[in-house]
Amino acid sequence: MIIAQRKPFKEISEAVAPYDKILIVGCGTCVAVCLAGGEKEVGLLASQLKLAAGLKGRRIEVGEITVERQCDREFLEPLCDFVADHDAILSMACGAGVQFLAQLYYFKPIFPAVDTTFIGVNEAVGLFTERCRACHHCYLGLTGGICPLTMCPKGLLNGPCGGTLNGKCEVDPEKDCAWSEIYRRLEQQGRLDNLKKIVPLHPHARSTTPGQVIHPAYQRRYSAYE
Amino acid sequence: MSKLSDTLEAGRFAVVVELKPPRGTNTQDMLTPVKALAQQVAAFGVPDNEHARMRLSALAACRLVQEAGGEPLMHLTCRDRNRLALESELLGAATLGIENLLLVSGDYVTLGDHPDAKPVYDVDSVQLLQIAQDLMAGRDSVGQALDGNPSFFLGAVVVPEAKPLGPQLLKFDKKVTAGARFFITPPVFDLEKLEDFQKDLPAYPVKLLASLKVLSPEEAAQADSPQWRKVYRVPRQVLEQLTGKEGEDFLRAGAALAGSLLKQIRQEKLADGVYLKARGRADLLEEILQAAAK
Repeated sequence: MIIAQRKPFKEISEAVAPYDKILIVGCGTCVAVCLAGGEKEVGLLASQLKLAAGLKGRRIEVGEITVERQCDREFLEPLCDFVADHDAILSMACGAGVQFLAQLYYFKPIFPAVDTTFIGVNEAVGLFTERCRACHHCYLGLTGGICPLTMCPKGLLNGPCGGTLNGKCEVDPEKDCAWSEIYRRLEQQGRLDNLKKIVPLHPHARSTTPGQVIHPAYQRRYSAYE
Repeated sequence: MSKLSDTLEAGRFAVVVELKPPRGTNTQDMLTPVKALAQQVAAFGVPDNEHARMRLSALAACRLVQEAGGEPLMHLTCRDRNRLALESELLGAATLGIENLLLVSGDYVTLGDHPDAKPVYDVDSVQLLQIAQDLMAGRDSVGQALDGNPSFFLGAVVVPEAKPLGPQLLKFDKKVTAGARFFITPPVFDLEKLEDFQKDLPAYPVKLLASLKVLSPEEAAQADSPQWRKVYRVPRQVLEQLTGKEGEDFLRAGAALAGSLLKQIRQEKLADGVYLKARGRADLLEEILQAAAK
Protein backbone atom coordinates (compact mmCIF):
# COMPACT_ATOMS: atom_id res chain seq x y z
CA MET A 1 0.00 0.00 0.00
CA ILE A 2 0.92 3.67 -0.20
CA ILE A 3 2.45 5.00 3.00
CA ALA A 4 2.14 8.67 3.96
CA GLN A 5 2.91 10.88 6.92
CA ARG A 6 0.85 13.83 8.03
CA LYS A 7 2.48 17.18 7.44
CA PRO A 8 3.39 19.33 10.46
CA PHE A 9 0.37 21.31 11.65
CA LYS A 10 2.13 24.64 11.13
CA GLU A 11 2.60 23.93 7.43
CA ILE A 12 -1.05 22.90 6.99
CA SER A 13 -2.47 25.85 8.94
CA GLU A 14 -0.32 28.35 7.02
CA ALA A 15 -1.48 26.88 3.71
CA VAL A 16 -5.20 27.31 4.52
CA ALA A 17 -4.86 30.54 6.54
CA PRO A 18 -6.58 32.71 3.88
CA TYR A 19 -9.77 30.59 3.91
CA ASP A 20 -12.74 30.60 6.29
CA LYS A 21 -14.59 27.52 4.99
CA ILE A 22 -12.31 24.53 4.59
CA LEU A 23 -13.29 21.01 3.55
CA ILE A 24 -11.01 18.22 4.80
CA VAL A 25 -11.28 15.12 2.64
CA GLY A 26 -9.88 11.90 4.10
CA CYS A 27 -9.15 8.68 2.29
CA GLY A 28 -10.33 5.37 3.71
CA THR A 29 -7.77 3.06 2.12
CA CYS A 30 -3.95 3.17 2.37
CA VAL A 31 -3.53 6.38 4.36
CA ALA A 32 -6.21 5.21 6.82
CA VAL A 33 -4.25 2.01 7.48
CA CYS A 34 -1.01 3.90 8.00
CA LEU A 35 -2.78 6.31 10.37
CA ALA A 36 -2.06 9.41 8.32
CA GLY A 37 -5.27 10.46 6.54
CA GLY A 38 -8.28 8.32 7.43
CA GLU A 39 -11.51 9.34 9.15
CA LYS A 40 -9.91 9.64 12.60
CA GLU A 41 -7.09 11.81 11.31
CA VAL A 42 -9.60 14.04 9.49
CA GLY A 43 -11.43 14.61 12.78
CA LEU A 44 -8.22 15.37 14.61
CA LEU A 45 -7.02 17.85 12.00
CA ALA A 46 -10.43 19.59 11.92
CA SER A 47 -10.34 20.07 15.69
CA GLN A 48 -6.76 21.36 15.56
CA LEU A 49 -7.61 23.89 12.84
CA LYS A 50 -10.72 25.17 14.68
CA LEU A 51 -8.89 25.46 18.00
CA ALA A 52 -5.91 27.26 16.45
CA ALA A 53 -8.23 29.69 14.64
CA GLY A 54 -10.23 30.25 17.85
CA LEU A 55 -7.06 31.12 19.76
CA LYS A 56 -6.42 33.82 17.16
CA GLY A 57 -9.99 35.12 17.52
CA ARG A 58 -11.08 33.77 14.15
CA ARG A 59 -14.11 31.64 13.45
CA ILE A 60 -13.72 29.14 10.65
CA GLU A 61 -15.96 26.42 9.31
CA VAL A 62 -14.31 23.06 8.79
CA GLY A 63 -16.19 20.35 6.90
CA GLU A 64 -15.13 16.72 7.32
CA ILE A 65 -15.67 13.84 4.93
CA THR A 66 -13.81 10.63 4.24
CA VAL A 67 -14.26 8.66 1.03
CA GLU A 68 -13.41 5.04 0.31
CA ARG A 69 -10.62 5.97 -2.11
CA GLN A 70 -9.59 9.31 -3.54
CA CYS A 71 -7.87 7.57 -6.45
CA ASP A 72 -11.21 6.44 -7.88
CA ARG A 73 -13.53 8.78 -9.74
CA GLU A 74 -16.71 7.08 -8.52
CA PHE A 75 -15.94 8.05 -4.92
CA LEU A 76 -15.05 11.65 -5.76
CA GLU A 77 -17.99 12.69 -7.92
CA PRO A 78 -20.53 12.57 -5.05
CA LEU A 79 -18.45 15.25 -3.25
CA CYS A 80 -19.50 18.07 -5.57
CA ASP A 81 -22.04 19.64 -3.20
CA PHE A 82 -19.61 19.60 -0.27
CA VAL A 83 -16.90 21.13 -2.39
CA ALA A 84 -19.25 23.87 -3.59
CA ASP A 85 -19.96 24.85 0.04
CA HIS A 86 -16.30 25.45 0.92
CA ASP A 87 -13.54 27.89 -0.08
CA ALA A 88 -10.68 25.42 -0.09
CA ILE A 89 -10.00 21.68 0.15
CA LEU A 90 -7.46 19.95 2.36
CA SER A 91 -6.89 16.43 1.05
CA MET A 92 -5.47 13.82 3.39
CA ALA A 93 -4.93 11.28 0.59
CA CYS A 94 -1.65 10.29 -1.02
CA GLY A 95 -0.34 12.43 -3.88
CA ALA A 96 -2.41 10.45 -6.40
CA GLY A 97 -5.63 11.13 -4.49
CA VAL A 98 -4.86 14.83 -4.05
CA GLN A 99 -4.24 15.20 -7.78
CA PHE A 100 -7.36 13.31 -8.81
CA LEU A 101 -9.48 15.41 -6.49
CA ALA A 102 -7.82 18.57 -7.82
CA GLN A 103 -8.43 17.43 -11.40
CA LEU A 104 -12.13 16.95 -10.80
CA TYR A 105 -12.61 20.14 -8.76
CA TYR A 106 -10.10 22.23 -10.71
CA PHE A 107 -11.83 25.49 -9.81
CA LYS A 108 -11.17 25.10 -6.07
CA PRO A 109 -7.83 25.65 -4.26
CA ILE A 110 -6.56 22.32 -2.90
CA PHE A 111 -3.78 21.61 -0.40
CA PRO A 112 -2.15 18.36 0.70
CA ALA A 113 -2.23 17.51 4.40
CA VAL A 114 0.15 14.55 4.14
CA ASP A 115 3.53 13.83 2.56
CA THR A 116 3.42 10.64 0.51
CA THR A 117 6.46 8.54 1.33
CA PHE A 118 6.57 5.13 -0.34
CA ILE A 119 4.94 1.82 -1.31
CA GLY A 120 5.35 -0.38 1.70
CA VAL A 121 3.97 -2.79 4.23
CA ASN A 122 2.50 -2.70 7.71
CA GLU A 123 5.42 -4.45 9.37
CA ALA A 124 4.13 -4.11 12.94
CA VAL A 125 1.73 -1.81 14.78
CA GLY A 126 2.63 1.72 13.74
CA LEU A 127 5.70 0.54 11.80
CA PHE A 128 5.61 0.89 8.03
CA THR A 129 8.54 -0.05 5.82
CA GLU A 130 9.27 0.43 2.14
CA ARG A 131 9.29 -2.49 -0.29
CA CYS A 132 8.73 -1.31 -3.86
CA ARG A 133 9.85 1.54 -6.14
CA ALA A 134 7.28 0.74 -8.83
CA CYS A 135 10.11 0.48 -11.38
CA HIS A 136 8.12 -1.30 -14.14
CA HIS A 137 10.66 -4.16 -14.24
CA CYS A 138 10.39 -6.63 -11.36
CA TYR A 139 13.54 -8.53 -10.32
CA LEU A 140 12.00 -10.37 -7.37
CA GLY A 141 11.99 -13.81 -9.03
CA LEU A 142 15.74 -13.54 -9.51
CA THR A 143 16.59 -12.14 -6.10
CA GLY A 144 14.65 -14.38 -3.74
CA GLY A 145 11.76 -11.98 -3.19
CA ILE A 146 13.95 -9.10 -1.95
CA CYS A 147 14.07 -6.05 -4.20
CA PRO A 148 17.63 -4.83 -4.83
CA LEU A 149 16.38 -1.55 -6.30
CA THR A 150 14.40 -0.70 -3.18
CA MET A 151 16.08 -2.47 -0.30
CA CYS A 152 19.61 -1.39 -1.33
CA PRO A 153 19.82 2.43 -1.11
CA LYS A 154 22.09 2.41 -4.15
CA GLY A 155 19.77 0.08 -6.06
CA LEU A 156 22.71 -2.11 -7.03
CA LEU A 157 21.77 -5.01 -9.29
CA ASN A 158 24.88 -7.17 -9.21
CA GLY A 159 25.84 -7.64 -5.57
CA PRO A 160 26.72 -5.61 -2.50
CA CYS A 161 28.79 -2.44 -2.43
CA GLY A 162 32.07 -2.34 -0.54
CA GLY A 163 30.52 -0.53 2.41
CA THR A 164 28.40 -3.33 3.81
CA LEU A 165 29.55 -4.44 7.26
CA ASN A 166 28.50 -7.52 9.23
CA GLY A 167 25.45 -7.90 7.03
CA LYS A 168 24.34 -4.32 7.70
CA CYS A 169 23.96 -1.39 5.32
CA GLU A 170 26.65 1.25 4.71
CA VAL A 171 24.01 3.96 4.74
CA ASP A 172 22.22 2.95 7.94
CA PRO A 173 23.84 0.37 10.23
CA GLU A 174 20.43 -0.33 11.77
CA LYS A 175 19.23 -1.76 8.47
CA ASP A 176 20.13 -5.08 6.88
CA CYS A 177 22.26 -5.09 3.73
CA ALA A 178 19.84 -6.11 0.98
CA TRP A 179 22.51 -8.10 -0.82
CA SER A 180 23.54 -10.04 2.27
CA GLU A 181 19.86 -10.93 2.69
CA ILE A 182 19.39 -11.84 -0.97
CA TYR A 183 22.49 -14.04 -0.86
CA ARG A 184 21.43 -15.74 2.37
CA ARG A 185 17.92 -16.44 1.18
CA LEU A 186 19.01 -17.89 -2.16
CA GLU A 187 21.69 -19.93 -0.40
CA GLN A 188 19.01 -21.38 1.90
CA GLN A 189 16.90 -22.22 -1.14
CA GLY A 190 19.85 -23.70 -3.02
CA ARG A 191 19.40 -21.11 -5.79
CA LEU A 192 22.67 -19.15 -5.68
CA ASP A 193 23.16 -19.87 -9.37
CA ASN A 194 20.51 -17.19 -9.91
CA LEU A 195 23.11 -14.58 -9.07
CA LYS A 196 25.95 -15.73 -11.30
CA LYS A 197 24.88 -13.94 -14.45
CA ILE A 198 25.56 -10.22 -14.73
CA VAL A 199 22.28 -8.31 -14.59
CA PRO A 200 22.21 -5.82 -17.49
CA LEU A 201 21.52 -2.10 -17.20
CA HIS A 202 18.08 -1.28 -15.85
CA PRO A 203 15.53 -0.13 -18.49
CA HIS A 204 14.70 3.29 -17.04
CA ALA A 205 12.79 4.33 -20.17
CA ARG A 206 9.86 2.27 -18.92
CA SER A 207 9.63 4.48 -15.85
CA THR A 208 9.25 7.70 -17.82
CA THR A 209 6.59 9.65 -15.96
CA PRO A 210 3.66 9.94 -15.95
CA GLY A 211 3.15 6.18 -16.20
CA GLN A 212 0.15 4.58 -17.81
CA VAL A 213 -1.18 1.03 -17.82
CA ILE A 214 -4.07 -0.05 -20.04
CA HIS A 215 -5.56 -3.41 -19.16
CA PRO A 216 -5.47 -5.67 -22.24
CA ALA A 217 -9.26 -6.07 -22.17
CA TYR A 218 -9.65 -2.29 -22.60
CA GLN A 219 -7.04 -1.69 -25.31
CA ARG A 220 -9.65 -1.02 -27.97
CA ARG A 221 -11.57 1.41 -25.82
CA TYR A 222 -8.58 3.65 -25.10
CA SER A 223 -6.91 3.36 -28.47
CA ALA A 224 -10.00 5.14 -29.83
CA TYR A 225 -8.67 8.34 -28.22
CA GLU A 226 -5.42 8.19 -30.15
CA MET B 1 50.06 0.37 -22.27
CA SER B 2 50.22 2.30 -19.04
CA LYS B 3 53.20 2.19 -16.70
CA LEU B 4 50.94 0.64 -14.05
CA SER B 5 49.79 -2.20 -16.31
CA ASP B 6 53.35 -2.76 -17.57
CA THR B 7 54.63 -3.01 -14.00
CA LEU B 8 51.91 -5.38 -12.85
CA GLU B 9 51.85 -7.53 -15.97
CA ALA B 10 55.63 -7.90 -15.80
CA GLY B 11 55.23 -9.25 -12.27
CA ARG B 12 56.95 -6.26 -10.68
CA PHE B 13 55.66 -4.83 -7.41
CA ALA B 14 53.61 -1.68 -8.10
CA VAL B 15 53.33 1.30 -5.77
CA VAL B 16 50.42 3.68 -6.36
CA VAL B 17 49.92 6.73 -4.16
CA GLU B 18 46.67 8.54 -3.66
CA LEU B 19 46.36 12.27 -4.20
CA LYS B 20 43.86 14.58 -2.59
CA PRO B 21 42.08 16.82 -5.11
CA PRO B 22 41.26 20.19 -3.54
CA ARG B 23 37.90 21.63 -2.65
CA GLY B 24 38.69 24.69 -4.74
CA THR B 25 40.98 25.64 -7.57
CA ASN B 26 44.34 25.68 -5.80
CA THR B 27 46.01 22.53 -7.13
CA GLN B 28 49.54 23.16 -5.84
CA ASP B 29 49.30 20.92 -2.75
CA MET B 30 47.59 18.13 -4.67
CA LEU B 31 50.48 18.00 -7.14
CA THR B 32 53.34 18.12 -4.60
CA PRO B 33 53.57 14.28 -4.34
CA VAL B 34 53.64 14.01 -8.14
CA LYS B 35 56.67 16.26 -8.38
CA ALA B 36 58.39 14.47 -5.49
CA LEU B 37 57.60 10.85 -6.34
CA ALA B 38 56.94 10.53 -10.10
CA GLN B 39 60.11 8.51 -10.61
CA GLN B 40 59.51 6.20 -7.64
CA VAL B 41 55.90 5.12 -8.08
CA ALA B 42 53.87 3.54 -10.87
CA ALA B 43 50.81 5.78 -10.69
CA PHE B 44 48.87 8.41 -8.75
CA GLY B 45 45.35 7.58 -7.64
CA VAL B 46 42.86 10.40 -8.14
CA PRO B 47 39.60 9.93 -6.18
CA ASP B 48 36.26 11.03 -7.60
CA ASN B 49 34.45 13.04 -4.90
CA GLU B 50 35.76 10.57 -2.32
CA HIS B 51 33.39 9.74 0.56
CA ALA B 52 30.71 11.73 -1.31
CA ARG B 53 32.56 14.97 -0.49
CA MET B 54 32.81 17.54 -3.26
CA ARG B 55 36.29 17.97 -4.73
CA LEU B 56 37.97 18.99 -7.99
CA SER B 57 36.87 16.77 -10.90
CA ALA B 58 38.96 13.61 -11.13
CA LEU B 59 39.30 14.00 -14.90
CA ALA B 60 40.75 17.51 -14.59
CA ALA B 61 42.99 16.44 -11.71
CA CYS B 62 44.29 13.50 -13.78
CA ARG B 63 45.21 15.87 -16.61
CA LEU B 64 47.14 18.04 -14.16
CA VAL B 65 48.94 14.94 -12.85
CA GLN B 66 50.03 14.12 -16.41
CA GLU B 67 51.24 17.68 -16.96
CA ALA B 68 53.24 17.43 -13.73
CA GLY B 69 54.97 14.30 -15.02
CA GLY B 70 52.96 11.53 -13.32
CA GLU B 71 50.71 8.76 -14.53
CA PRO B 72 47.16 9.00 -13.16
CA LEU B 73 44.80 6.27 -11.98
CA MET B 74 41.39 7.84 -12.32
CA HIS B 75 38.57 6.78 -10.01
CA LEU B 76 35.08 6.95 -11.47
CA THR B 77 31.97 6.58 -9.31
CA CYS B 78 28.47 5.50 -10.32
CA ARG B 79 27.00 7.76 -7.65
CA ASP B 80 27.16 11.07 -9.50
CA ARG B 81 26.53 10.28 -13.17
CA ASN B 82 24.11 8.36 -15.35
CA ARG B 83 25.25 6.02 -18.13
CA LEU B 84 25.45 8.83 -20.71
CA ALA B 85 27.74 10.90 -18.51
CA LEU B 86 29.85 7.89 -17.48
CA GLU B 87 30.41 6.82 -21.07
CA SER B 88 31.38 10.29 -22.25
CA GLU B 89 33.63 10.69 -19.18
CA LEU B 90 35.35 7.42 -20.12
CA LEU B 91 35.85 8.62 -23.69
CA GLY B 92 37.12 11.93 -22.33
CA ALA B 93 39.66 10.12 -20.16
CA ALA B 94 40.82 8.02 -23.11
CA THR B 95 41.35 11.03 -25.35
CA LEU B 96 43.53 12.60 -22.65
CA GLY B 97 45.60 9.41 -22.46
CA ILE B 98 44.25 8.33 -19.09
CA GLU B 99 44.25 4.53 -19.20
CA ASN B 100 44.18 3.41 -15.57
CA LEU B 101 40.68 3.38 -14.15
CA LEU B 102 39.22 2.38 -10.81
CA LEU B 103 35.49 1.91 -11.31
CA VAL B 104 33.44 2.03 -8.11
CA SER B 105 29.83 2.29 -6.92
CA GLY B 106 30.70 5.21 -4.65
CA ASP B 107 29.90 5.99 -1.02
CA TYR B 108 26.28 7.01 -0.53
CA VAL B 109 25.48 10.72 -0.72
CA THR B 110 24.02 11.05 2.77
CA LEU B 111 27.42 10.07 4.21
CA GLY B 112 29.09 13.02 2.51
CA ASP B 113 28.93 16.81 2.54
CA HIS B 114 26.02 17.20 0.09
CA PRO B 115 23.50 14.90 1.78
CA ASP B 116 20.49 16.30 -0.10
CA ALA B 117 22.01 15.64 -3.54
CA LYS B 118 20.22 13.13 -5.77
CA PRO B 119 22.06 9.79 -5.78
CA VAL B 120 22.27 8.46 -9.34
CA TYR B 121 23.45 4.81 -9.42
CA ASP B 122 21.99 4.34 -12.90
CA VAL B 123 24.81 1.83 -13.35
CA ASP B 124 26.58 -0.36 -10.81
CA SER B 125 30.32 -1.04 -10.69
CA VAL B 126 30.00 -4.38 -12.54
CA GLN B 127 27.96 -2.78 -15.29
CA LEU B 128 30.40 0.13 -15.49
CA LEU B 129 33.29 -2.29 -16.01
CA GLN B 130 31.25 -3.93 -18.74
CA ILE B 131 30.56 -0.55 -20.34
CA ALA B 132 34.29 0.28 -20.31
CA GLN B 133 35.09 -3.11 -21.80
CA ASP B 134 32.48 -2.59 -24.51
CA LEU B 135 33.91 0.85 -25.32
CA MET B 136 37.32 -0.77 -25.74
CA ALA B 137 35.70 -3.20 -28.17
CA GLY B 138 34.32 -0.27 -30.16
CA ARG B 139 30.71 0.00 -29.05
CA ASP B 140 28.78 1.96 -26.46
CA SER B 141 26.27 0.59 -23.95
CA VAL B 142 23.47 0.54 -26.52
CA GLY B 143 25.63 -1.10 -29.17
CA GLN B 144 26.43 1.92 -31.34
CA ALA B 145 29.80 1.83 -33.08
CA LEU B 146 32.49 4.24 -31.88
CA ASP B 147 34.66 6.44 -34.04
CA GLY B 148 37.95 5.46 -32.38
CA ASN B 149 38.23 2.93 -29.57
CA PRO B 150 39.61 3.79 -26.14
CA SER B 151 42.24 1.73 -24.36
CA PHE B 152 41.92 1.17 -20.61
CA PHE B 153 43.51 -0.76 -17.77
CA LEU B 154 40.45 -1.55 -15.68
CA GLY B 155 40.42 -1.81 -11.92
CA ALA B 156 37.81 -2.36 -9.23
CA VAL B 157 37.51 -2.71 -5.47
CA VAL B 158 37.36 -5.91 -3.47
CA VAL B 159 36.93 -6.18 0.30
CA PRO B 160 38.95 -9.10 1.71
CA GLU B 161 37.58 -8.57 5.22
CA ALA B 162 33.91 -8.49 4.14
CA LYS B 163 31.45 -10.25 6.42
CA PRO B 164 29.76 -12.25 5.05
CA LEU B 165 32.36 -12.98 2.38
CA GLY B 166 30.04 -14.92 0.01
CA PRO B 167 28.22 -11.92 -1.51
CA GLN B 168 31.56 -10.09 -1.88
CA LEU B 169 33.11 -13.00 -3.78
CA LEU B 170 30.03 -13.19 -5.97
CA LYS B 171 30.56 -9.58 -6.98
CA PHE B 172 34.32 -10.07 -7.32
CA ASP B 173 33.66 -12.90 -9.76
CA LYS B 174 31.31 -10.71 -11.80
CA LYS B 175 33.85 -7.88 -11.84
CA VAL B 176 36.50 -10.21 -13.24
CA THR B 177 34.05 -11.39 -15.90
CA ALA B 178 33.21 -7.77 -16.68
CA GLY B 179 36.85 -6.96 -17.41
CA ALA B 180 38.58 -5.94 -14.18
CA ARG B 181 42.29 -6.68 -14.43
CA PHE B 182 43.38 -5.35 -11.07
CA PHE B 183 41.73 -4.91 -7.69
CA ILE B 184 42.38 -2.50 -4.86
CA THR B 185 41.43 -3.42 -1.30
CA PRO B 186 40.30 -1.06 1.45
CA PRO B 187 43.08 -0.27 3.95
CA VAL B 188 44.73 -3.37 5.38
CA PHE B 189 46.24 -3.48 8.86
CA ASP B 190 45.81 -7.17 9.57
CA LEU B 191 47.99 -9.01 7.08
CA GLU B 192 46.63 -12.37 8.18
CA LYS B 193 43.28 -11.33 6.71
CA LEU B 194 44.99 -10.49 3.43
CA GLU B 195 46.79 -13.83 3.45
CA ASP B 196 43.55 -15.70 4.16
CA PHE B 197 41.83 -13.89 1.32
CA GLN B 198 44.64 -14.73 -1.09
CA LYS B 199 44.30 -18.39 -0.15
CA ASP B 200 40.54 -18.32 -0.69
CA LEU B 201 40.90 -16.82 -4.12
CA PRO B 202 40.89 -19.23 -7.00
CA ALA B 203 43.47 -18.53 -9.66
CA TYR B 204 41.91 -15.44 -11.20
CA PRO B 205 43.97 -13.65 -13.84
CA VAL B 206 43.96 -10.40 -11.86
CA LYS B 207 46.40 -8.33 -9.83
CA LEU B 208 45.79 -7.23 -6.26
CA LEU B 209 46.89 -3.92 -4.75
CA ALA B 210 46.57 -3.73 -0.97
CA SER B 211 45.73 -0.29 0.42
CA LEU B 212 47.85 1.05 3.25
CA LYS B 213 46.58 4.04 5.14
CA VAL B 214 48.00 6.54 7.57
CA LEU B 215 45.24 6.72 10.17
CA SER B 216 44.19 10.03 11.67
CA PRO B 217 44.20 10.30 15.49
CA GLU B 218 40.37 10.42 15.36
CA GLU B 219 40.21 7.19 13.37
CA ALA B 220 42.68 5.47 15.68
CA ALA B 221 40.63 6.55 18.71
CA GLN B 222 37.51 4.96 17.20
CA ALA B 223 39.10 1.87 15.68
CA ASP B 224 38.64 -0.35 18.71
CA SER B 225 35.17 0.96 19.63
CA PRO B 226 31.67 -0.18 18.66
CA GLN B 227 31.32 3.06 16.66
CA TRP B 228 33.91 1.82 14.15
CA ARG B 229 32.06 1.49 10.84
CA LYS B 230 34.89 0.74 8.43
CA VAL B 231 35.17 -2.43 6.41
CA TYR B 232 38.66 -3.13 7.77
CA ARG B 233 39.82 -4.00 11.26
CA VAL B 234 42.78 -2.42 13.01
CA PRO B 235 44.31 -4.98 15.40
CA ARG B 236 44.96 -3.77 18.95
CA GLN B 237 48.72 -4.39 18.68
CA VAL B 238 48.78 -2.03 15.68
CA LEU B 239 46.93 0.66 17.61
CA GLU B 240 49.38 0.24 20.49
CA GLN B 241 52.21 1.30 18.19
CA LEU B 242 50.42 4.63 17.76
CA THR B 243 49.41 5.30 21.34
CA GLY B 244 50.97 8.15 23.28
CA LYS B 245 51.70 10.13 20.14
CA GLU B 246 49.97 13.30 19.01
CA GLY B 247 49.73 15.56 15.97
CA GLU B 248 52.57 15.21 13.49
CA ASP B 249 54.31 12.53 15.58
CA PHE B 250 51.16 10.43 15.35
CA LEU B 251 51.04 10.73 11.57
CA ARG B 252 54.76 9.94 11.25
CA ALA B 253 54.27 6.82 13.38
CA GLY B 254 51.36 5.88 11.12
CA ALA B 255 53.59 6.32 8.07
CA ALA B 256 56.32 4.16 9.63
CA LEU B 257 53.72 1.50 10.34
CA ALA B 258 52.46 1.63 6.74
CA GLY B 259 56.08 1.34 5.59
CA SER B 260 56.66 -1.82 7.62
CA LEU B 261 53.40 -3.33 6.30
CA LEU B 262 54.48 -2.46 2.75
CA LYS B 263 57.81 -4.20 3.31
CA GLN B 264 56.11 -7.34 4.64
CA ILE B 265 53.55 -7.42 1.82
CA ARG B 266 56.34 -7.15 -0.75
CA GLN B 267 58.62 -9.70 0.92
CA GLU B 268 55.91 -12.25 1.57
CA LYS B 269 54.19 -11.62 -1.80
CA LEU B 270 50.84 -10.96 -0.12
CA ALA B 271 49.82 -8.66 -2.98
CA ASP B 272 51.07 -7.48 -6.37
CA GLY B 273 51.40 -3.94 -5.17
CA VAL B 274 50.18 -1.33 -2.72
CA TYR B 275 47.93 1.71 -2.83
CA LEU B 276 49.10 4.31 -0.33
CA LYS B 277 46.67 6.67 1.37
CA ALA B 278 48.48 9.33 3.35
CA ARG B 279 46.26 12.42 3.07
CA GLY B 280 47.94 13.22 -0.25
CA ARG B 281 51.00 14.51 1.67
CA ALA B 282 54.34 14.04 -0.06
CA ASP B 283 56.32 14.02 3.21
CA LEU B 284 54.24 11.19 4.71
CA LEU B 285 54.35 9.21 1.46
CA GLU B 286 58.13 9.58 1.37
CA GLU B 287 58.34 8.38 4.97
CA ILE B 288 56.33 5.28 4.08
CA LEU B 289 58.65 4.48 1.18
CA GLN B 290 61.76 5.13 3.28
CA ALA B 291 60.45 2.94 6.12
CA ALA B 292 59.73 0.16 3.61
CA ALA B 293 63.25 0.38 2.21
CA LYS B 294 64.90 -0.15 5.61
